[in-house]
Amino acid sequence: MKPDAKLDAMLADREVIVCVGCGGAGKTTVAAALALEAARRGRKALVLTIDPARRLADALGVESLGNHPQAIPRETLDALGVPGWGNLSAVMLDMKRTFDDLVERFAESAAVRDRIFENPIYQHVSNALAGSVEYSAMEKVFELHESGAFDLIVVDTPPAQHALDFLEAPQRLLEFLDSRLVKMLIHPAFAAGRFGFRLFHRGTQWVLQVLERITGIGFLEDLSEFLIAFDAMADGFRDRAHRVRSLLLGPESTFVLVSGPGSESARHASDFLDRLEGYGVSLAGVLVNRIRLWPSEGSPPRGDAQQSADIEALRDALRASEGADYPAQLAAEAAAKAATRYAEWVRSDARSAQPLRERIEAQGRFWGCIPEFERDVHDLSGLGRVADRIAGKEEP
Amino acid sequence: MAAGTQRSLLEYRLVIVTGKGGTGKTTVSAALALAGARAGLRVLVAEMGPDEQIPRLLDPRAPRAGYAGCAILPGLRAMRIEPFEALAEYLGLQLGVRAIVDAVVRNRAFRQLMTAAPGWRELITLGKIWHLAQLDSEDPPGRRFDLIVVDAPATGHGVAFLDVPRVVVSAVRAGPLRAHAQRVERMLEDSDQTLVLPVALAEELPAREIAELTDRVRNEIGISIDRVIVNAVVGPPFPDAIRDLDEALARLDGDLELGALPPPRVLARCAHHLRSRHELNRRFTAEIQHTTGLPIVELPRLPEGIQGPDQISSLASALLAKPVFLK
Repeated sequence: MKPDAKLDAMLADREVIVCVGCGGAGKTTVAAALALEAARRGRKALVLTIDPARRLADALGVESLGNHPQAIPRETLDALGVPGWGNLSAVMLDMKRTFDDLVERFAESAAVRDRIFENPIYQHVSNALAGSVEYSAMEKVFELHESGAFDLIVVDTPPAQHALDFLEAPQRLLEFLDSRLVKMLIHPAFAAGRFGFRLFHRGTQWVLQVLERITGIGFLEDLSEFLIAFDAMADGFRDRAHRVRSLLLGPESTFVLVSGPGSESARHASDFLDRLEGYGVSLAGVLVNRIRLWPSEGSPPRGDAQQSADIEALRDALRASEGADYPAQLAAEAAAKAATRYAEWVRSDARSAQPLRERIEAQGRFWGCIPEFERDVHDLSGLGRVADRIAGKEEP
Repeated sequence: MAAGTQRSLLEYRLVIVTGKGGTGKTTVSAALALAGARAGLRVLVAEMGPDEQIPRLLDPRAPRAGYAGCAILPGLRAMRIEPFEALAEYLGLQLGVRAIVDAVVRNRAFRQLMTAAPGWRELITLGKIWHLAQLDSEDPPGRRFDLIVVDAPATGHGVAFLDVPRVVVSAVRAGPLRAHAQRVERMLEDSDQTLVLPVALAEELPAREIAELTDRVRNEIGISIDRVIVNAVVGPPFPDAIRDLDEALARLDGDLELGALPPPRVLARCAHHLRSRHELNRRFTAEIQHTTGLPIVELPRLPEGIQGPDQISSLASALLAKPVFLK
């Protein structure tokens, strides 16, 4: 399959597209534009955003929507070229509510639920636990996918310190719940505050002693209480986490790596790619956002572009069009300099991206470029432009 | 606040460089470390990301610095703070018996618990920084750092990271963890020693984010900020007399042959792009200044991008410029 055909196939067939990449690359914009492009191709697409720019959120109609998808109005879709049989919705992740919904779903009684909600550890878990944004995002994807209301969900992932936190989060949580230490902490004697360390295996005794030294007794008691409450719903939770993982690694899903321009971004993207490959996820391709591209016609000027004869020709043309009082010589020199400067950006961006591009193309994956526009994209018409470029349409 | 009341960046002991991903935070950290070393200070630059970047930016042949750190240039050490290594070191200091500590840190269940547990990475990382800042001349010679530059994590504004000591102090009732968090908090709040240096781009979103960041750092977390670094600024592309150059070019015959120069249609697009980005940068630099109330240090967008030591070196000089309120 040709790389461009890969992009088309992805937009036509996949049910979940996960946009990954480093912070600042423009994942949210690209995720929304991919969903828009899929809607233009007649699909019922949803974009799940984590932390969208306010104006983009306004444009998508997802501000204060409390975790539920919101359809983009029909007249807006018409203006964006979405046919009658396609549609586009957006939802903004509310992490706390996603977690609360999970607890509601799996708690066996209202009493258990309330004990969890009131536990200080839970309040931290649902806000600050490493990987909790990632976990709740993936949980939300699963829930929306199960609902069957959309045939494509495009996911904007949170900026993560470790690139694949969102994939690892369910697994981590499972391993943690199954660990011997947790089993110890939910031991009734422990929860009652009777620190019978001697009950335990010697290695575990050390671990508990160290934890106590670091954290103080209060923390371990709170943790133990939380884990006991949580244990009551662990089976449902465990099953759920497995299914979330199978969805993301299954044939319905694929990943798109979003990178920024420049060598720093390219290095990050390539480190990211190493880890993705290690994980065995399906990567459809790479989209480089905000890269400087040369206008399609003519080639970038080289070092000899500022030759006096060419400048003179430009000066004369400017003088003829502007009149004698226009500083045409200055303008001609400045125009040549501007073109040289812009060309230098273009070459530098292309050079920085080259190793990554070769790697991606050798793998038969798609490689797409979205140019830096004069203005940044914060509205639906801007998203339309990004979608055009993703689909390979030229600027008018 | 009047311009010019700011101290030099090199007069602080601890500078924590923050900003969203993509703003050039790591580049600025490397440049500040270099500026310090050039001024004769003993500098440590510490990064936290999983992929070590700073040594390579300062010297393409630099080895990996790792947790132990290594000297990159005379007077300049780099390190990467890895939370589990910092935890092992901390526990070793707390418990005294390294063999037990190693057994505990290698324990699978312990690692699982710590992998899932919130907050400790940030706290232990800040604890390591605190420890490094305590080294003074009584320690083995050469161990005291005059300037410690921290490249804060890019997640969330890098601000959650700084908020952890406060959260721990409020969530943990007693014990050594709480005492430790309080020590770290005192270091961060010492405005004579510690500065948060935010790095922003002069674009709509980053401008709004930097306003939120500075507000939180100053008012909720209580760490001093005295300037904003605005990175990758596109300077005025044309002299004032021809500020409408792109429009003048657009009025020419678009296909006119100009030898080695591209035709006017393309020249006009290049000029228009530069002018638009410049005007956008100006507008949002003004907005950053207005919403944060802070003076600005602008760093130019380098045409060749950030490749290595040459670019870091030119940014190092620009970074020390006096922060100003632009007109």
